[in-house]
Amino acid sequence: MMTYYDHFVIPFLVGTFFMFAVLLWKWGRWLWMLPGEDKRAVGRGIFSAETFRAVREVVCESLLHRKIFRVNPLLGYMHMSLAFGWFLLIAVGWVEAATVLGPGTPLQAHVFFRYFGPEGEAGWNPFAFVMDLLLLMVLSGVLLAWFKRMRSRAMGMKRTTRHVFVDRVALTALWLIFPLRLTAESFTAAIRHNGGFLTGSLGDLIASGMSAATVADLNTAAWWAYSFALAAFFIAMPFSRYMHIFTEVPLIFLRRYRLRSGPREKSFDNFQIQACSRCGICLDPCQLQRDLGLDNVQSVYFLRDRRYGKLTDEVLGNCLMCGLCEARCPVGIELNVLRLNSRQKRVDSPALMRYDYLKGADRSSGSGKVGYFAGCMTLLTPATLQAMEKIFAAAGEEVWWADRDGGSCCGRPLKLSGEVNAAERIMERNKELFRKHGIATLVTSCPICLKVFREDYALEGIEVLHHTEYILRLMRAGRLDVERTPDTFTYHDPCELGRGSGIYEEPRELIRSVGRLTEPAHHGAEALCCGSSLANTVIDDGQQVAIGRAMTAELEATGAKTIVTACPLCKKAVGRAASVRVADVAQVVAEHLRVAAEVPCGKVRTEPVGERIAAAEAASGR
Amino acid sequence: MGKEVIVVGGGIAGMQAALSLRERGAEPVIVERAERLGGKLAGWHKLFPTFTPAEEVLGPLRRRVEEAGIRVLTGTEVEELVPGGVVVSGGRRLAGDATVVCSGFELFDARLKEEYGYGIYDNVFTTVDVERMFNEGRVATAQGAAPRRIAFLHCVGSRDEKVGAHHCSRVCCITGVKQAIEMKELFPAAEIYNFYMDIRMFGPGYEELYRRAQLDYHINFVRGRISEASQTIDGRVQIKAEDTLVGRPLKMTVDMLVLIVGMKGGASNGSFARSGGLQVAGNGFMQPLDPFAGNVLSQRDDVFYAGTVTAPKNIGESLNEGVAVAERVAGYLKL
Repeated sequence: MMTYYDHFVIPFLVGTFFMFAVLLWKWGRWLWMLPGEDKRAVGRGIFSAETFRAVREVVCESLLHRKIFRVNPLLGYMHMSLAFGWFLLIAVGWVEAATVLGPGTPLQAHVFFRYFGPEGEAGWNPFAFVMDLLLLMVLSGVLLAWFKRMRSRAMGMKRTTRHVFVDRVALTALWLIFPLRLTAESFTAAIRHNGGFLTGSLGDLIASGMSAATVADLNTAAWWAYSFALAAFFIAMPFSRYMHIFTEVPLIFLRRYRLRSGPREKSFDNFQIQACSRCGICLDPCQLQRDLGLDNVQSVYFLRDRRYGKLTDEVLGNCLMCGLCEARCPVGIELNVLRLNSRQKRVDSPALMRYDYLKGADRSSGSGKVGYFAGCMTLLTPATLQAMEKIFAAAGEEVWWADRDGGSCCGRPLKLSGEVNAAERIMERNKELFRKHGIATLVTSCPICLKVFREDYALEGIEVLHHTEYILRLMRAGRLDVERTPDTFTYHDPCELGRGSGIYEEPRELIRSVGRLTEPAHHGAEALCCGSSLANTVIDDGQQVAIGRAMTAELEATGAKTIVTACPLCKKAVGRAASVRVADVAQVVAEHLRVAAEVPCGKVRTEPVGERIAAAEAASGR
Repeated sequence: MGKEVIVVGGGIAGMQAALSLRERGAEPVIVERAERLGGKLAGWHKLFPTFTPAEEVLGPLRRRVEEAGIRVLTGTEVEELVPGGVVVSGGRRLAGDATVVCSGFELFDARLKEEYGYGIYDNVFTTVDVERMFNEGRVATAQGAAPRRIAFLHCVGSRDEKVGAHHCSRVCCITGVKQAIEMKELFPAAEIYNFYMDIRMFGPGYEELYRRAQLDYHINFVRGRISEASQTIDGRVQIKAEDTLVGRPLKMTVDMLVLIVGMKGGASNGSFARSGGLQVAGNGFMQPLDPFAGNVLSQRDDVFYAGTVTAPKNIGESLNEGVAVAERVAGYLKL
């Protein structure tokens, strides 16, 4: 019986076993350390249809790289040819070995099949043909990878990641593996005539130009080199960015089983962090990069530093959390959540006494089913507050004013800086306040408050609305009437409202009801951050203004007379950079209210349009 | 005929520069954006620290410009500085052997500090509004009543990172003291508060006036900035601040809130720098060649500065630069 052994297989075998041992150790530990709740979720999900969906997603994303194709087709092909091509080489190689050598052959027999397999026979060998085709596909990916190193721009990326040492080792090994395989198989084909169209032809060429002894020596050397390259890659892999190759697979399954990262670090985070391939797609959209030239704080570097335990406050705190990179991440990693729970780990302290003075504090006024929470930033931009007062009055809405005479913070700024305990205490107080006044709807003008109300407050029975949603409802119900003007407006999507809460259309519809809307170059899900994000605790005001100027220039380029936004913080940020007027959507609506729509204050109006007109006529006749 | 010198801006520095140049035999021409000479001082009532009517400074300057027969182009805005002259509104070129830029400053737009409610609440004013009321001879709240409590807020648009203004506008501290005293004289029964970060009394007689404001006029100085303002039902202004010397927050309702607005660099500075190869300093004012011996010189041999185009200055300093720049221009033109 053949043993399929030669000394050169040792590096490969050692590398392979080492890699799988480390992988199993890592995954095993992470799974073991999952909190009970997550473990139960896995248990529930594993025998559900989610498992099939996960398998499908693994094929689409881990093998075919559909999302990277969307960034750039060439970039997608590069990743696919490497990942899917290599996968097929292994799979088809295994089938070939099983077919030719029989089942139960050891691992090295099909990895080094050309070396251990039988001599070539006359006639066309379909396996050799397919294997050569696949090798050619992988080699084209390697060539593109080299090309990308030199000219990343051609592949849709202006900037690429700066890699750490272990990444460079793994990368070098990866680049060498396939050219070495081609070399080794060609030399073997020169001796054993078992090559396909590629290795066979090269083998013939070698055989015609060298003595048999030289070919034999070089053949052995090439297989040794190939084995060493494989070993180097496998040993470096679990510690390098290439850990993503395998880690993305369990990540997809766990995500399908509804596992998510949370406000505090947990074991599931490891799957997300080590699934980052450091592709650097997050670098280009980052405004800190584009406008301030900061090139070491982006998500790829944050994840890298967190993974290797080298995270600094500088990197951790220097992020606008605008979500532009998160939207593009091909692996779908929860970048902002991970950054936030890192902050929590660093700065959070038990806030046992800190907010006791808020207990029972209630400066609210008025009463009604609709509650209005201005938020601190709206109190600092009173034109928006005044506009809301006018709109509520025009619609005849009875309002409970939560904080018009001062109130407490919504808690999100504390959460963004990592003070989760303190935020939770404040949130508890606010919740008590909302419940006490029996409101059914909570309207806020601040997208920062909106996000925390919706995601963290768990206000069952109370519908939380941004004022743009609420005003649009009033308008659709016929409770507000506005005048159309020929004025042009442009709209800035606040990050927390757009990407953060998925509200894009409501403010636009409101603007279109009073005038013409022109869109800036980046808008909707691609909109830029105003630069004054509360989430960034590192950059100074000058840097905030620099980002604000760059994005305001895009808004001003639309030629609109008024820049409209729907966030008090954005309004301030754009205001200090703009040369045209900056206003909140509420102001724009309030300024265009038709006087006829004004009804006596204090009367709740819920009648449809027809009855409303009749009522208005009756009122005017009185 | 003498050498032609274009004087950009007909405020006090521009008028003084033109007069001094004429004395040296040059042929100055003042290009003024507004319809009348006088610049920002034209809207002012009385001057610190002596309460001299602004007209006593402005009147003689205007008269002397007229008597000297200096050419004045009003209603004309300089858009670009080009070699050998300037481009004015409408694209017309004006040739000159040298250019003196006296285009002054802009006032900070108080609406950018929306939390103070300027333009939103009825009884929030700026120092400029107050001077206008003094000139009109009628100072009252928006409701037409005599104010019983007035708050002045210093450093609005100065030393405020949030609006991108790091510099001190220098003259606003004493302006706030002056207007507080004038208010007290008009309304002796009124309580007057000045909210400040620091009081910077850099000129002769300023510190003395500040002292008198406290001792003789009983004006209250509170160290702390106002954080926000809101309007009460009866149209008054409720302010929230912190008295940092006592270390306590305070809330107060006033009849008038006066925002002491700062100075910022001229709006045309950017286009002057681009077209003329000059430099704008980080604070938005023009950057003179050097801050010691080259205060009225620019990066270009034939372009000079005088007055607040390069930094916040008081009237005396601005006039002195008008005199000094003539000396430098004369040296350059070999008059």
